[in-house]
Amino acid sequence: MESILEYLKEERSQEWRAKLRKSMKAKERTSRERVSMPEADPNQRNKNNMEVNSGLPVENAILEAQRCLDCPDPTCMNGCPVGINIPKFIKKIEAKDFLGAAVVLKETNGLPAVCGRVCPQEKQCESSCFYTIKLNKPAVAIGYLERFAADYERESGKMAVPKVSEKNKIKVGVVGSGPAGLAAAGDLAKFGYDVTVFEALHEIGGVLKYGIPEFRLPNEIVDVEIDNLRKMGVKFKTNFLVGKTVSFDDLKKEGYKAFFVGSGAGLPRFMNIPGENFNGIFSSNEYLTRVNLMHAASDEYDTPVISGKNVAVIGGGNTAMDSVRTAKRLGADRAMIIYRRSEKEMPARVEEIKHAKEEGIEFMNLHNPLEYYDNDNGRVNRMKVQKMELGEPDASGRRRPIPIEGSEFYIDVDTVVVSVGVSPNPLIPKVLSDLKVTDWGTIIVDQETMQSSIPELFAGGDIVRGGATVILAMGDGRKAAAGMHKYIQEKVKAN
Amino acid sequence: MADLTTKYLGLTLRNPVVIASSGLTNSVDDIVELDKNGAGAVVLKSIFEEQILLEAEHSLKKAEKDGMIYTELSETLDYIDEHIKEKELGAYLDLIRKVKSKVMIPVIASVNCISAREWTSFARQIEDAGADALELNIFVMPFNFDTNSIEKEQVYYDIVNKVKDLVSIPVSVKISPYFANLGRVIMRLEEHGADGVVMFNRFASPDIDINARKVTSAEVLSHPFEMANTLRWVAIMAEQLKMDIAASTGIHDGEAVIKQLLAGATITQVASTIYRNGPEHIVTMLKFVHDWMDEHGYNYIDQFRGKLSQGKMEHPEVYERMQFMRYFSEIK
Repeated sequence: MESILEYLKEERSQEWRAKLRKSMKAKERTSRERVSMPEADPNQRNKNNMEVNSGLPVENAILEAQRCLDCPDPTCMNGCPVGINIPKFIKKIEAKDFLGAAVVLKETNGLPAVCGRVCPQEKQCESSCFYTIKLNKPAVAIGYLERFAADYERESGKMAVPKVSEKNKIKVGVVGSGPAGLAAAGDLAKFGYDVTVFEALHEIGGVLKYGIPEFRLPNEIVDVEIDNLRKMGVKFKTNFLVGKTVSFDDLKKEGYKAFFVGSGAGLPRFMNIPGENFNGIFSSNEYLTRVNLMHAASDEYDTPVISGKNVAVIGGGNTAMDSVRTAKRLGADRAMIIYRRSEKEMPARVEEIKHAKEEGIEFMNLHNPLEYYDNDNGRVNRMKVQKMELGEPDASGRRRPIPIEGSEFYIDVDTVVVSVGVSPNPLIPKVLSDLKVTDWGTIIVDQETMQSSIPELFAGGDIVRGGATVILAMGDGRKAAAGMHKYIQEKVKAN
Repeated sequence: MADLTTKYLGLTLRNPVVIASSGLTNSVDDIVELDKNGAGAVVLKSIFEEQILLEAEHSLKKAEKDGMIYTELSETLDYIDEHIKEKELGAYLDLIRKVKSKVMIPVIASVNCISAREWTSFARQIEDAGADALELNIFVMPFNFDTNSIEKEQVYYDIVNKVKDLVSIPVSVKISPYFANLGRVIMRLEEHGADGVVMFNRFASPDIDINARKVTSAEVLSHPFEMANTLRWVAIMAEQLKMDIAASTGIHDGEAVIKQLLAGATITQVASTIYRNGPEHIVTMLKFVHDWMDEHGYNYIDQFRGKLSQGKMEHPEVYERMQFMRYFSEIK
């Protein structure tokens, strides 16, 4: 810990940073208003997949960077799961060295353009910003600036391919191409390994592609990162289910020395209420995957989802927001969030809730579904909901929802999307009997090395955490890559 | 040899000794053992509404410990109580299916509910899993002093109404004796469609350690002397009801079984004595009943069931206040 603080102190004392700090009085910096993110018109964007946030223009990025006080004790970093050197990258922006800012980001975060878009900064770095905790003012827009630097680098055409060590011809496998898998693959390639990423679906990117809609995270942003990995020598095999297509033993026979498992939490959960099996009731995973990955909204494809006119999405998280906003874009007249607590308790990002409201999403907070009904053909056409009130807080600190007796009523619906959480993918724990898992079905790993109970198997992301953020998953992937490197090198030396 | 066959909730039981809902009826192996020793039926361990809420809280804390940080961002943890419920209910339905595949005796599921909320829909799944009947263990806590007794009683009727609407298997209701007008409440449960009543629930009670000056829990298992109240109410209600009566609490031997049957019980439910003496004690209890019936010339239970119920008594007041008056007046 001391060495990190020393490092930060040393970095901060560099001449260019000291000069920059002196270039503007602290009072002048703190008197600035936080810049706002330019957004597409709600009534236009809710009919297509255009990205909602369009990114800060250069001049606003510099203005916002000037707000940062370059604190001697950068508390914001405490809120970042991967420890990005936040003041350094922001000061690079203030110094108009935008490519330099991207380099700083990539020291610890392989997908800054992604994280700048989807990280819940208001609950992470920005919640620990000096402005938030001491000045009671809006935090420096760290997320906007992260995105700015990453986008600038990509759009400049000067995107650097990270240096890769000399190939050591040792084969390693990465199971799953979501944020954890991609981060692990990148670092393993840097160490010189022969890396193959196995993806069960036909597209690479995992939850970044199937889960997060394009209006929030355009696919091209993810594809650029994947292309970069390809340039580093990472190989990808799609439609490949490790544990089914081939076993781990088969892969070991092919020469794979170690594996990183980042197979995610793709098993949907339901509420187990009557009628939940009727047609027209989807899990958010299925709904979003069909639309985002299988083009279900397009007539040209064979697996459509019916564009419901009255769509109810159950839940209050980001996936629920993604689902309901997708439903609106598919033409729903009435796209509703049905959430059993109040807006204050919603796990979704504040920004997503705001965007959803702007786009005409109806929020039925303090309501909970009780039962679904069909039209005699097995297709949902109505649901019974009950009003709720909030009781005492539960262990999570959220106030517990309590049903109000006699408050039940019916709503006409033709599509329902259940978005009440996910479970870890069970396939790999199922095929590896020696693999230790928690009661949750998540893989138990050493928190430092991410090594599982099977020595050559490392894991991270949602398969370890149950349901984490993109940046946490990436942090796991990187940690695991380091753990795998150490494990393999020790084994090589021993032989 | 006497025939102990008994009808309870429309089900045919080989004898009237039923294992009450308890830790004894929580696993397939234990239930197989009870079956081997001659149990007439089993009531599975109750699935508790409140227990699941507590389990959800525990799981949340554990999730944070297991490194699932940022729980406030997780949709999964936001609905953790629902997921725990699904898991617990799934395990319970699984238990029903497995037990049904292993034993021939009737298997009665038990739900411990405190409200007529979503728990009632679970009843349908219990039926689909193969339970022969459902025992609703209802207890509305009396600690909310803002509601009156009529409102509290109404919760019992609402639960029965809802569950009876949902399932076609028989439904019995296990209640406590703590009602302002107990007899009337039992009759109203029948009016609302209950097929049987289980008298009575036995609660975990507090005690006080005077040396440590701490609240502790009183002994969990019952004692034979606790049977008296059940005996009184079985006898009082037997002729008032068409529905079946299961006598519970303090029934520890064959003699107690016979007493309850004479008072008018359809069956008896036992647990504490099996905890103390093991499943083989069922054999001993049944032998006692057999021998007693043979000795007194009864071939069937119906020949003596209810013979000493209040309705058939020449002096019905013995089950009422007079009983005490006489008892105490005889003390010298």
